[in-house]
Amino acid sequence: MTDSSVIPPSNRSPLKLTFLAPPVGYYAIFFIAPLAFLVVLGFWIVRDYQIVAEFSVGNYIDIFSQFFSRSRFGWALVQSIYVAVTTSVFAVIFCYFLAMGIVFCVPERYQRLFLVLAILPFWSSYILRLFAWQLILAQKGVLNYVLGGLGLDDPLIITNTQIGTRIGLIHYLAPILIIILYITLINVNRNLIEAARELGATRLQAFWRVIVPLSRLGLTFAFGFGVIVSFGDVLSGMLVGGGIGQSWLGSYPLYSNMIMADYNSYTNLPRTAALATVMVLIMVVMLVVAYRMADRARQRLA
Amino acid sequence: MTEGRLSLYLRENGYRLAGRVYLFLGFIFLLLPITFLILFSFQRNVYSSLPLQGWSLQWYDKLVEDGVLFDALLNSLYVSPIAATAASVIGFLAAYALNRFVFPGRILTATILILPILIPPLILGVSLLGLLSRLGLHGQLYSIIIAHTLLLTAPAMAIIQLRLAQMPPTLEEAAWDLGANELQTVWRVVLPWALPGIAGGWLLAFTFSFDEFIIAWFVSGFDQTLPVTVYNVMIASHDPSLNAIGTIVFGLLLLTLLGAELLIIPLFMRRRRA
Repeated sequence: MTDSSVIPPSNRSPLKLTFLAPPVGYYAIFFIAPLAFLVVLGFWIVRDYQIVAEFSVGNYIDIFSQFFSRSRFGWALVQSIYVAVTTSVFAVIFCYFLAMGIVFCVPERYQRLFLVLAILPFWSSYILRLFAWQLILAQKGVLNYVLGGLGLDDPLIITNTQIGTRIGLIHYLAPILIIILYITLINVNRNLIEAARELGATRLQAFWRVIVPLSRLGLTFAFGFGVIVSFGDVLSGMLVGGGIGQSWLGSYPLYSNMIMADYNSYTNLPRTAALATVMVLIMVVMLVVAYRMADRARQRLA
Repeated sequence: MTEGRLSLYLRENGYRLAGRVYLFLGFIFLLLPITFLILFSFQRNVYSSLPLQGWSLQWYDKLVEDGVLFDALLNSLYVSPIAATAASVIGFLAAYALNRFVFPGRILTATILILPILIPPLILGVSLLGLLSRLGLHGQLYSIIIAHTLLLTAPAMAIIQLRLAQMPPTLEEAAWDLGANELQTVWRVVLPWALPGIAGGWLLAFTFSFDEFIIAWFVSGFDQTLPVTVYNVMIASHDPSLNAIGTIVFGLLLLTLLGAELLIIPLFMRRRRA
């Protein structure tokens, strides 16, 4: 019946163009054009405080000639990748166990309440949460006051280090990662776990051999998401990490913070654009790697 | 035999207990900052730390007296709803077209439309400033609206797509069959169906915009949104009235959360059941 009477006017529909035009148009002007212009702008120069449309590779020479020495853009890049990857690893582990706790230790009718509580921080302002972390982690902050009361005399130094950066970032990532991993875990077939248990697997074995392999896709996705967000974030590194946070690599700022600081002190937009272009290139490489990893995880599942 | 069972029972409950302790500690971590933000906003302490020195509303008074953070909040409440609405409209158009039509480059279009959430906002900020300053459109509140609309279209579209994907195609077909033209069908059938998705997408977009810092930092000028002003206040000095504005913002967003809890989460739940 429906086949003969209704021909879905799919491809000659007048709505196709009308509906596609606004999104495509908006993206062309305010997404594709700015990104393309970013690359061009990186090759322009500033003369007498004015941007001059004059082709020059000066910005890139300036950046790469002292990559690991004076201006230390290279070290900032290394620091950024290091912090982003480790942050994401810790965040995924932390959130994976939290999601497991919600799935396996909370009665089903309360699970939704726990999820809402987990997302709660997401609905308060990120920058103001970082302010709160400053207060908690500072040398004379809440944490050290409590530890002092417990008899620990040396205050923990967390703010102005990359550990502080990571804490801010993990707290920022947690709500989203918990949702991703909760959905992953809730879709793991319970029968498989029970089968493994009845065939004599211990809880630990069932965890490593059944639950983890079946959540590999979600874990990979969560990890990739964590790396990308941490790599691009400016606030946690600036406010909790103190701008030039200490890690065992040394006191180097994150690359994103360096871009921000560079623009703030020189207002040299072409040079900032060149720095940003370098960041885009790194991102593309990271996305390709992430895609490969997700693909491999998917194949192993199939 | 019974002893074996008993120890097994204890061991299994041990895991459950460990899980509960972990959950407890994890949620303390998650809720710690907001707890202290609210607590310190009502405290007399000039430097917000322990020990507590007594209750007071002085930081809320200071907020109103200074006016800087308050004006920024008003700017945000002007920018974010407009940007979220624009993004929801564009997002709905895109979601509907992608859901229904087949055309060359469909997958490429879908990928590009979702791309802005994968690109660091820092990059978008520099790029948009580059273009907008070239066009003379930078440094205004509407610059932030333009930039945020781009950033927010992708998440709004994603949420609306979740909802549209649940719509049985026969619904539209029935409307056509009964003589409605395509625009009427969209207006009278698709739009009502998509409404929870649109509302959820709008709320998500609003929250993103309300919280967004770095793009606004780049493209804004004298008039700034709340996160940018908070940043400037934070790096200038220690000001406990930030706790007060934080508490107010949390209260505002809690209302949004209520809406989202009612609108977004059921979308995920329904998928699970299917």
